[in-house]
Amino acid sequence: MEIQQRPYEWMVKLTPQREWIEGRGIILLLAMYFGMGAGLYLISSFFDSLWGMLVGLLIVDLLFGGLHLAYLGRPLRFWRMILRPQTSWISRGLTFVLLLNVAGAIEMAMVYWQPQTGVYFTFKVLAMIFAVLTCIYTGFVMNYVRAIPFWNNGLLPVLIVVHEILGGFGIALIIAQIPGAKMDIIILDHGARLLLVISALLLTIYLWSNTYSMQPGPESVKALLRGPKSFSLPFWIGVVLLGIILPLIISWISYDAREIASPLLFGGIVCELIGGLALRYCLMKSAFYAPLLPL
Amino acid sequence: MRWGMVIDLTKCIGCWACVMACKQEHFLPRGVFWARIAMAETGKFPRVTRQLLPTVCNHCQDAPCAKVCPTGATLLREDGIVYVDYDKCVGCRYCVIACPYQHRTFLSKIKEYNPGQGYTEFEIMGQQLYPLQKGTAVKCNFCMERIDKGSAKGLKPGKDREATPACVIACPTRARYFGNLDDEEDDVVRLIQQKKGFKLHPEFGTDPSAYYLYY
Repeated sequence: MEIQQRPYEWMVKLTPQREWIEGRGIILLLAMYFGMGAGLYLISSFFDSLWGMLVGLLIVDLLFGGLHLAYLGRPLRFWRMILRPQTSWISRGLTFVLLLNVAGAIEMAMVYWQPQTGVYFTFKVLAMIFAVLTCIYTGFVMNYVRAIPFWNNGLLPVLIVVHEILGGFGIALIIAQIPGAKMDIIILDHGARLLLVISALLLTIYLWSNTYSMQPGPESVKALLRGPKSFSLPFWIGVVLLGIILPLIISWISYDAREIASPLLFGGIVCELIGGLALRYCLMKSAFYAPLLPL
Repeated sequence: MRWGMVIDLTKCIGCWACVMACKQEHFLPRGVFWARIAMAETGKFPRVTRQLLPTVCNHCQDAPCAKVCPTGATLLREDGIVYVDYDKCVGCRYCVIACPYQHRTFLSKIKEYNPGQGYTEFEIMGQQLYPLQKGTAVKCNFCMERIDKGSAKGLKPGKDREATPACVIACPTRARYFGNLDDEEDDVVRLIQQKKGFKLHPEFGTDPSAYYLYY
């Protein structure tokens, strides 16, 4: 099946979704990518790292939330978006972010002034739950769309959560270099390595399961694997090479050598972060609607 | 009461009268279409067929656009019409993404018909009479203003011109029918039953109110 190139081929050929990838759609792509701020918060909360939690919340608020706002056609009405959590994942997402901010701010205050108290543990658990829910949100926003079979796959939210936490591990490894960051580089390194392998497996299963989904799900996979360059290049170079193979090689070297040179570590983190962005780009780019014609 | 449309594909000649009537009725800016015609060529020379598919918003009874809307700007009326309250829309475009028929448009700007020459008097008048809001999602509303006004006067939508959607009236081959899908006596229900009307993409489970005939 061919992909729509010209306006008059609307819903006659595979029609790609454009609103969330082309033009200002790039803003939304970046907004969703920065959901990794919640992943960073989750990891930092585990280590009680104030620096990590602060950076995590800043990414969630300024980049994740800010870019979402910047994308809206009528940003001043954003408060209305909280009104429909019963059916809309965007409403739920905004609710999770707000709750993460409240619980996170209290947790940070507790870590600083009254650690190891009952209130501290309560808000730590709450903040971690809301951080996970914020990570989940992006995946479910896409997964809920039945019109795009490529997204309407149960593995997509899991894949995105794993990538958001993986991105969080990447930034946490950078923050861990700051004196007093209170994050264990070895645990972070092991965690990132494990998630990298899991994400590679998940991606493979996700793509494979999509080849059995309703049309045009299989066409989306075909476009990524051996379609036009605008689809396949970001996938093979961005997702596979930069996002999986290079970080895995660096990770393997670090595991083998028991320690890792900083430039190589940073190189691995940058590759991993670019890979995460490329994955979101590919997911958005290869989302097709089933044609209405030919009947 | 559930308003619905039946489109007879064997009668459509692809004259675009429905598309133009819709644009005129709602003063739609350049690049925005609430009624569309999809055209495809199938087969190989010398056996080539051109397929025409006139479309409008399907006004689904299980509308994904209404479900995903975070503000409640997309609403389903009691008579089955799905419409957008522009004052509530934030322009997140989730509804545009969620529609399997791609019948929504995000109005990023109100483009002039003569680029670089400003709006014509007709366009300025249109913006006053039918104010669409920049930065919101727009879609076909089955000409609900005509239906409401006509019904208030005691007219019957689908029968009386004043109360019937513009695309139905404009069709020179009478390929479009409008009526109450809940009324067994209505022409649209009779046509659907007799000529085996079908819906587009029933696999998405949206329960559209637009039916097609091909016999």
